[in-house]
Amino acid sequence: MARVLYLEDERDIGEWVLKDLTSRGHDVKWLTSGEGMDAHLSETDIVILDVMLPGLDGFSLGRRIKKDYQELPIIMLSARTSVEDKIEGLDFADDYVTKPFHPDELAARLEVLLRRFQKQDEVLELQHLLIYLKDGIVIDRESEMEIPLTGKQYHLFQFFIKHINQILTKEQLYEGVWGERYIEGDKTLMVHIRYLREKIEKNPASPTIIQTIRGIGYRVKA
Amino acid sequence: MSRFMKSLLAKYMLLIFIAILLVQLAYLLVGSLAIFGFNIIDKEVGDTQLIEKKWHEDVEGLQTVNQDTMQRLFQEWKEDYPRAGMFWVNGDGELVLEEDTLQELPQKWGSVDTLTFNKNRYDSDPFTVIAFPPYKEKNGFVVFELPRSEFDPPILKASERYGYLILIGVFLLIAFFIMMSFMFFRKIQKRLVKLEDAMKIRDEDGLPIEVTTKKEDEIGQLEKSFNRMVHELRDSRKREQEEEQIRRELIANLSHDLRTPLTKVRAQSYTISKENLTPEGHKAIEAIETSIENIDRLIENLMSYTLLMASKYKYDPRPMDITRFLRESVAAWYPVFEKENYEIEIELVQLGEWNIDPMWMERILDNLFQNVIRHAGIGSYIAIKTKTTEKYDAILIIDKGPGIHHDTSEKGAGIGLTIVNMMVKGMGLEWDMDSNETGTTITIKKMK
Repeated sequence: MARVLYLEDERDIGEWVLKDLTSRGHDVKWLTSGEGMDAHLSETDIVILDVMLPGLDGFSLGRRIKKDYQELPIIMLSARTSVEDKIEGLDFADDYVTKPFHPDELAARLEVLLRRFQKQDEVLELQHLLIYLKDGIVIDRESEMEIPLTGKQYHLFQFFIKHINQILTKEQLYEGVWGERYIEGDKTLMVHIRYLREKIEKNPASPTIIQTIRGIGYRVKA
Repeated sequence: MSRFMKSLLAKYMLLIFIAILLVQLAYLLVGSLAIFGFNIIDKEVGDTQLIEKKWHEDVEGLQTVNQDTMQRLFQEWKEDYPRAGMFWVNGDGELVLEEDTLQELPQKWGSVDTLTFNKNRYDSDPFTVIAFPPYKEKNGFVVFELPRSEFDPPILKASERYGYLILIGVFLLIAFFIMMSFMFFRKIQKRLVKLEDAMKIRDEDGLPIEVTTKKEDEIGQLEKSFNRMVHELRDSRKREQEEEQIRRELIANLSHDLRTPLTKVRAQSYTISKENLTPEGHKAIEAIETSIENIDRLIENLMSYTLLMASKYKYDPRPMDITRFLRESVAAWYPVFEKENYEIEIELVQLGEWNIDPMWMERILDNLFQNVIRHAGIGSYIAIKTKTTEKYDAILIIDKGPGIHHDTSEKGAGIGLTIVNMMVKGMGLEWDMDSNETGTTITIKKMK
């Protein structure tokens, strides 16, 4: 459940998204222009912005929001699909979804952003694991014991959770967790994944939580 | 008139004028220096008759004739005529005294010698006067000779005797003139080279930069024209950019206006799909969904195609680790193939850096993967590989579909592949497609 602020001037589309997101359990505030937007920002978890709006356009509104609320995720939802528009949008926004979109896709991307910004006090259930996102605690449901993870292991696991369902290449993982450029042939990441699997997998020899995608990288699937 | 005075032509003419004037001046200078400055020319020699008369008087007026008196006479005359020669032959035909004579003289003079001498010297060079002292049978004759050039005007003498000075002077003058000319043209050349350099330099828009005009001469005019041209170029570039902006806006708006109703169609079909539908109803909804996807891709491709054709598609190449790039792109597409139950085979070896625009490459891969999803569903197989050979590095995309037919641009594969073709070529890469009933292999190559 998240508080969504949605700006869309097309009535048909606005009503549809409002209905769909509400049915998925979100609390949606829908506005047809940027007017009066500021009053809602402090009570919002995520913003969905159309680009072509009467008055100030979505790009200008988005920049204004990010200036005052850096921690508020923004999804651009636009029928403008040119490279230039995407580049301009992603300059400040966290995601750029193009119309015609599928509601499932929008909902999924919303979830990803909410998780990345940790907007919800969410407990993630992952096979035999319970993950308390805000507190950074991982519990084994069967033994009801906390699984102690070292700093790097937790950091790595958290990176997977933030990008849940997304396949991450070893470069992305290494650079995301260690913050340094990955050098081909470095074994550090593999070693840490092995240790992490030994702690969280039921059977580390055939892992089910951290999947290996051959030739590409790894994935944690919800 | 003032414009002419400022011109290079006027300057050059002035230069030549001064040079000619200088040559004349130099002659005058050398001449006058020779005459007044250094006293290098003898006093006025006077005319020949005067000399002849005086010589006769002096010789004939000698009181006593012996070596001493003759020597004294010679000395006196030498003072007046330093370049004169004199000698005395006595009555016995012996050469008694000789002073600076111009030619070898016999010691003993017979009548033939005397006659020959007399004949040779008559009215010739040197000017010769023969006089007889008193008692000529005993005392013989005395000769005075003086080169005829001594009677030339002073400037002629100067050129004869001090010709080298004039030569050096002229040479110096010519050298001076050459140097002046050289400096004159050198200056012109420098300015021209500067102008040429200015034409080569480009600002961030790829336009030449204006030059500063200091002089009003021909090159100054040229510089002004050049600046005018730069201005015009700038204006036309600005117009072009504005038109480009309008064009982009137009296409972007068109795409927006097409997609908005498409989104509404999807909203409606999605709402219907949530109702209780017959299997036939579900099928119809699925068909609508597919059509929406197809139209969406078509709009996207049409937009890209229009921009590419007009060379207005944003192109920003940079060195990219192609294997890493490919891996990330495949990672994004993996779930799509997974959902369609494809067998996925990935074999990526390190290829190094390719100079590409990531947006373009992403577009190429999207179009190719999209084609696999749309046309190779029967094969349910995709392989993405990289390969390195002696001649090239390559990306391979292999499917086991029924093959793509070139002649029929079925279901929008045509425009998608056209865009792939344009973008691949645009980035200096090559590609080929090997397609038959059992599958298609697309190879994107970077030649070594």
